[in-house]
Amino acid sequence: MGISASRYTAGNGDAIHKNTSNTFFCDLPAYAGANCWRDWFSSQPMTWDFYRNATQNADQLRQRVAFALQQIVVVNNLDVEGTYGLRNYHNTLLDNAFTNYRQVLKKVTLSPVMGDFLNNANNDKAAPNENYARELLQLFSIGTCELNADGSLKGGTCSPTYNNETVRNYAYAMTGWTYPAGGTTAYGCWPTGANCQYYGGDMVPVTRYHDTSVRPLLGGVSKPANSTPATALELVLDSVMQHPNTAPFIGKQLIQHLVSSNPSPAYVQRVAAAFIAGSYSAEGRTFGAGTRGDLAATVAAVLLDAEARGDTPARRAGKLREPTLMFTGVLRALNGRSDGEALAWWWGEVLRQHVFRPPSVFNFYPPDYPVPGSATMVGPQFGIHNANSALERLNFLTYLLYWGGSTAEAGVPGAFGTTVNTVPFEADAADAAKLVDRLSVLATGAALPSTTRTRIITAVEAFNASSSSTWQSERVKQAAYLVFATPAFQVQR
Amino acid sequence: MKARAMTMNRRHWLKLAGLMGATAGAGTIGNLLLPGAPARAADYKALVCIFLYGGNDGLNTVVPTDATRYGQYSAVRKTLALPQASLVGLGSSGYGLHPSLAALAPVWAEGRLAPVFNVGPLFQPTTKAQFRAAPESSDLVPDNLFSHSDQQVLWESGSTDALTRTGWGGRAAQALATANPVISVGGNGRFGLSALSAPLVLPEPGATFGAYELGTDSWRTSYAPLVARAAALRGIYSEAQDNDLAEVYAGMQRDAFAMSDRLAALIKVKPGQAGSVAAIDNAFAPLIANGDVADGLPRQLYQIAKLIAGNATVQGNRQIFFAQLGGFDTHANQIGGSVLVGNHANLLKEVGDSLACFHNAMKAMALADAVTAFTQSDFGRTFTPNNSSGTDHAWGNQHLVVGGAVKGGLTYGTYPTLALGGPDDVGVDSWELQGRWIPTSSVDQYAATLLSWFGATDAQLDTVLPNLRNFGSARTLGFL
Repeated sequence: MGISASRYTAGNGDAIHKNTSNTFFCDLPAYAGANCWRDWFSSQPMTWDFYRNATQNADQLRQRVAFALQQIVVVNNLDVEGTYGLRNYHNTLLDNAFTNYRQVLKKVTLSPVMGDFLNNANNDKAAPNENYARELLQLFSIGTCELNADGSLKGGTCSPTYNNETVRNYAYAMTGWTYPAGGTTAYGCWPTGANCQYYGGDMVPVTRYHDTSVRPLLGGVSKPANSTPATALELVLDSVMQHPNTAPFIGKQLIQHLVSSNPSPAYVQRVAAAFIAGSYSAEGRTFGAGTRGDLAATVAAVLLDAEARGDTPARRAGKLREPTLMFTGVLRALNGRSDGEALAWWWGEVLRQHVFRPPSVFNFYPPDYPVPGSATMVGPQFGIHNANSALERLNFLTYLLYWGGSTAEAGVPGAFGTTVNTVPFEADAADAAKLVDRLSVLATGAALPSTTRTRIITAVEAFNASSSSTWQSERVKQAAYLVFATPAFQVQR
Repeated sequence: MKARAMTMNRRHWLKLAGLMGATAGAGTIGNLLLPGAPARAADYKALVCIFLYGGNDGLNTVVPTDATRYGQYSAVRKTLALPQASLVGLGSSGYGLHPSLAALAPVWAEGRLAPVFNVGPLFQPTTKAQFRAAPESSDLVPDNLFSHSDQQVLWESGSTDALTRTGWGGRAAQALATANPVISVGGNGRFGLSALSAPLVLPEPGATFGAYELGTDSWRTSYAPLVARAAALRGIYSEAQDNDLAEVYAGMQRDAFAMSDRLAALIKVKPGQAGSVAAIDNAFAPLIANGDVADGLPRQLYQIAKLIAGNATVQGNRQIFFAQLGGFDTHANQIGGSVLVGNHANLLKEVGDSLACFHNAMKAMALADAVTAFTQSDFGRTFTPNNSSGTDHAWGNQHLVVGGAVKGGLTYGTYPTLALGGPDDVGVDSWELQGRWIPTSSVDQYAATLLSWFGATDAQLDTVLPNLRNFGSARTLGFL
């Protein structure tokens, strides 16, 4: 399936940045209305595309890789408003899910949405804002501690990869970018020479604000005096892409998002090697174009590795399904679909993963959140899992199975709600064991452990013709509720 | 080892849950909150950590008012400088608060507010010369200075090692064997993690803290298929799992059920509803509209006030709470149309207003002396603004402590010398003169002051705060 089928289209366009009156956009007669903010400024339309794609589109791997990238090179709708800009940003991640991480970093750095989010738009050499430079290094490329090729800490401790002087050098090197042309306002735009706020396209150079000094970067790369913004950016990208940390740092996070929270060092090293070589071969096929940072090669290495496959995963394998993937996992297994409306401000907020609204550039959870009670394991998704979310995960199942989910909401374009369809399973209702096994395979890929399986079968059999006239459908719901509640489903391995 | 630790912890809670059922009767709000003086141990104490995520600009939170230092401040802060006349004066201390913190002026007047200056992660007392001479790998240089995630970890963990897994709140709860883990109404912050358990994260007033399928309505408990559903649900988490993360997941689920059985009714109560506490509702009245406390920090502190009042249900004569407010990473647009309005002003107003209401609620329940609230934050912000009306990441920072036990009316610690390249500035060279202050008091000393009041022995302090011994006899800062 081509990219076009999954590109985001919901929400409105760029008129918010072409308002030449002194009236606030949503107070203009042409645009005023209950849904003005939602459809022009917020990320809510994107949640419609997100969950429709995630529950219905065929290109699930592209969706999943883009979702992983979205949680590494983070922007949010708390700090940036403009539906069309956020949509452009995510479409860029969808487009580049299997291209090259250097290209991702370049597009992200030049995105006016990121430019607003981390203040690199109109950054001025006179007193540069350090925000984007710091997070480019810390979160998007190399991390704060020197790593071995297998992602472990060099020397077993944190040896810093850079200091604040480095951050400032990168900030200086990335000064001199402004919004793309296209925005207009009633009161002009500043600073002098800069374009008005506008999210349609990549940022463009504004040389008068670009630093003219020599700035040493990492890995012996140096930004020369009198560079252009564009040449300086290429050097910035070269320096981080060739840094020995980037392959294991990004590779490990892709493993954590797609497969397992605690990959073995050898697994990380294999993925990092594919990132560096830009190529990965398995089962007679070769993935990637052979250029460092190739994401097709890296993702193939993540998913086709022996540690990601096999029928007997190690005790430490797997990851807690994050709320978003728990939602979509249940829906897809139960013939369901969602138009996204109920999974944003309702269930997204309840379970602390309202897509496109992570609290900060640090995403919904940190990659190194310690698993409570464990001395060594991390569980990024445990960073938003707690007593309250434990209960609410169960209540999400109650919502889908016993409350009937959500119906189409008026005012949501093309709405169809959030529903599952358990009717097809009623054919197996008379045989509780067969029913439970069928659902277990859909939920976990295997039958459940025998004592859990027996418990659920017993509970399913509690419904019968004498207890309920709709015992077949009740049996299916009873089975589905309990199967999707199991630790075996909630922790994917 | 891990599984055993989890089990012990769980058993501890379950025992308490059992006691509740036996002594007070579970579930009905009427017997959870007694009228009049709530039942609790005479020596009850609570600590309330308020984490300001993003790095609060402490230089615009507490500002020196003497002519010399105010002049240094306004000369560097320029458009970000608060006008001297706008500051909320703190008596003869020589300092004033951001005008958005006006609600705390009466708390200062009562002697129940203490600003603490230039606190931050430190391995040991560190001079600029020592810091400049230390290699980056030296213990004297805390890990990953100026990084949000790492400095949050250092503040929350009371450490200079960014790889520390547990928080100082969690370790203190464990060392003092508090009845509950750290109770958080503000997410899973590392502050409340111990080697044994996660913080107990509770939802806001009005929320259902429970699984619907475990409900106790009679139509559920009298219908066999639904009884079977609930039994199977509890049963599947009681089984050993074949995967480590699943094992942890199942344990957290069991804990959640036990805590829900005990606390759900208390948690759900909103202002004015049956079971609400008039003293708390009245104190929070400025922040209550249409039966709801204002979203954010006000609602969190209201919930904490309720949990303190409901100690007969919550249990324990020592309790550590955690609340948080985000948005302090003011790289840009720190101020609005004037320096008195905008993002930072709004955030501080939320802090000041809610802290004042919380303190008033504690006073009204005669619990002010037993409850101490304090701020933490990633780091301070640069003295020099950047080009986008904002400030960047720094190190030492100003903090506020509020409570009846606070030795208020005074300031504590040493305000940074407001000189770029001066004795407190990490910088020497022209590129680095943004005013990032080397702390003169450590997170460990700050935490030790709080925990010492809370009842920790010296030995316990040394266990919880491993760097404290590096500060010799200066173990506490004196504000309690």
